[in-house]
Amino acid sequence: MNAQSLGSLRTGWSVTLDDCALSGGWTSEGNEFAVVDAAGGVSVFDGKRGDLIWAKKNVHDGGALATSVHPSKSKFATTGQDGRLIIWNLLEPDTEKVIDIGKGWAENVSWSPDGNLIATSLSKTVYVYSASGEEVWRTSDHQSTVSTIAWTNKGELATACYGQVQFLDGVSGNLIQKLEWKGSLVSIALSSDSDIVACGSQDNSVHFWRRSSGKDSKMSGYPFKPSALSFNKKGTLLATGGSEAATVWNFEGDGPEGTSPLELDYHADAITSLLFSNHSNRLVSGCRNGTVVLWEISPNNTPTKLGVGQVADTVAELYWRPDDRAVAALDRQGGVTVWRI
Amino acid sequence: MNTPQKVPVTILTGFLGSGKTTLLNRILSEEHGKRIAVIENEYGEVGIDQALVIDAEEEIFEMSNGCICCTVRGDLIRVLSNLMKRRDKFDYVLVETTGLADPGPVAQTFFMDEDISSEYALDGIVTLVDAFHIDQQLGRSDESTEQIAFADVVVLNKTDLASGEGLDEIETRIREMNRMTKIVRAENADVPVDTVLNLSAFNLDQALERRPTFLEPEYPFEWTGVYLVEPGNYKIQFDEGPDPSMSLVITTDQGSDDSDLRDNAEKCVRYYAEDGKSILPDETIPMNTHVELNLASGGSKSFDIIIDKPMQIGLYAQHTAEEFNIQLIKSGKDAVVSAVVERTWVAQHEHDDEVGSIAIEKDGDVDQEKLNKWLSKVLGEKGIDIFRMKGFLSISGDSRRFVFQGVHMLFDAKPDRSWDDMPRRNQLVFIGRNLDEDEMRKGFEECLV
Repeated sequence: MNAQSLGSLRTGWSVTLDDCALSGGWTSEGNEFAVVDAAGGVSVFDGKRGDLIWAKKNVHDGGALATSVHPSKSKFATTGQDGRLIIWNLLEPDTEKVIDIGKGWAENVSWSPDGNLIATSLSKTVYVYSASGEEVWRTSDHQSTVSTIAWTNKGELATACYGQVQFLDGVSGNLIQKLEWKGSLVSIALSSDSDIVACGSQDNSVHFWRRSSGKDSKMSGYPFKPSALSFNKKGTLLATGGSEAATVWNFEGDGPEGTSPLELDYHADAITSLLFSNHSNRLVSGCRNGTVVLWEISPNNTPTKLGVGQVADTVAELYWRPDDRAVAALDRQGGVTVWRI
Repeated sequence: MNTPQKVPVTILTGFLGSGKTTLLNRILSEEHGKRIAVIENEYGEVGIDQALVIDAEEEIFEMSNGCICCTVRGDLIRVLSNLMKRRDKFDYVLVETTGLADPGPVAQTFFMDEDISSEYALDGIVTLVDAFHIDQQLGRSDESTEQIAFADVVVLNKTDLASGEGLDEIETRIREMNRMTKIVRAENADVPVDTVLNLSAFNLDQALERRPTFLEPEYPFEWTGVYLVEPGNYKIQFDEGPDPSMSLVITTDQGSDDSDLRDNAEKCVRYYAEDGKSILPDETIPMNTHVELNLASGGSKSFDIIIDKPMQIGLYAQHTAEEFNIQLIKSGKDAVVSAVVERTWVAQHEHDDEVGSIAIEKDGDVDQEKLNKWLSKVLGEKGIDIFRMKGFLSISGDSRRFVFQGVHMLFDAKPDRSWDDMPRRNQLVFIGRNLDEDEMRKGFEECLV
């Protein structure tokens, strides 16, 4: 075992915002990193060196809530407690479009994989706009506030709330599939073939469905709420938070039902965020106490710890750069920390 | 990384029109220097300043297991989770629920959701009651009953619209339903802020530091009359009544506000703790002393009072004035003095509300194993009907006092201070619907060593 490989992650750059860093994202080439904070500020940094390209304060009254960077073009979108969706030009502090969705919190925003549509949710309704900000469709009310949304690789929009996950046609908004379960679903992870949908649930369990068969299963026994979920690229491994160990379920063969998961032990407190890399079986996990760990899971399902990082406070989110050569962590104190991998 | 102190949260319940917004504004306008966030489920017409106000639609999340104690409020989880992400934390959070809200899921959210309980501490549940309308509401809706059953403090508001006697009756009825709650009267929600905030009602060791009991007192007197008197001699006259004797304390310099009445009521409890001095008719009653008036003889009889300065006096009597037609008479003139203010204190014990309190108080030690068995049986069978419980226990073989509290089936017990030379005893209070007091009492007694 090489002692150096268990050492600290190599810091690329780090900055501190005025308030908790809530949500961010890399641009497609990894040249820029955009982030919003709890005070409602937006900042764009140079992805390689961390130099500030531009920043604006108080763009969302009451605070920003979410951001999504366009998958190919130089733009990104933010939403906030002011019920607004703003589409920004990445390189200049100019807004392309400001949409007043309504009164309430716009808690989610996400560009479709092809970049032609942008989805957001406010209270019980999901709205989809064109890339230029024209409304394409909206849903009728969900049965409760929409907790999260996610696009499948096939261009369907998945929405979760208390009691159900729905799959809607991205272009028309028509309902494709509804999966019900009496519990509050707080997060979604989709396998790359869009067949498996896993949801973190309020009652400290992970609920998942195989969409082709409609069969569902539940993994319970988590000491904390497993909000953090991530599938690896092949869709064979599902990493979940909800405890001090990152729990990795293997979907190959007959699994994960009846199998024991991998438990990646290092963190001393609840895992708050975790994410598989874009191209390999590397996993980064972040914890309530600010530790960040990089893991590698070998083809024979053996985990190795590659390095450890530390940020100032609870890790809010983690983002792999599209080329997997860097990871960004956002924390509660407003820190944006980037490690070179 | 330091562990920041948890942010206290007060839940404000009460029917629409009971004065929640007024109280909210009172709290916010006091110069307390705190950063307060308000989460509202009911859109108030009154603007609220100096605070972050978040409107949230009530969303109740039940879980697939059907367990009532897993029912939480999704709107609170969402809003509170977001609030705690701010670097500059709020010092205090107030949650104003709708008049129809069930307080159970609201309270349970602070125990069931680890994300929330790691950052917030439920401080107390305050229920506003419109004194003028409560009588109708209590009969008609489960929600208003449950809001009282869950309350740590009941603000009996709009007392100017109800009669004194009516208020006493309402207070008695509330007290029967919830013997742990503190009742404060107000006209325009004008209660001191420290009676509703920072109660530590769910932090029992702290609560016990302040007062060594969870029970609000039941007074040994039923009635108080306040009279304005001048120097000279007076008589208290009694007609024939249902009892051969009556305990009494006459207080001097008695105020006539409800808070004055209560302050002296606490004092009188201490006077009453001493044996009453026996007084025969036509003898003089000493002031600020527990006396036992002998009323055994037939017909009307009177006792003397000597007043040395102009003041108000308070008669804290074991029975109501009505039962004996008690009258204060200025000697010589034979003029009947009317009371400035009157109120009754004691529970009538004839309520028919389904919701009530059970208090079990026992000296001695309990066997831990038997107690666990009994409690899990009680919570398993009756958890849905038990709204709140609190208490302390003397566990055999342990030098420490154990404190516990719970909401429905959620039960939280922990060792507190050492008993040292305090007498070892147990106090358990349950507030719930259709609880069988005899059965509960018997069940607990079987746990005693």
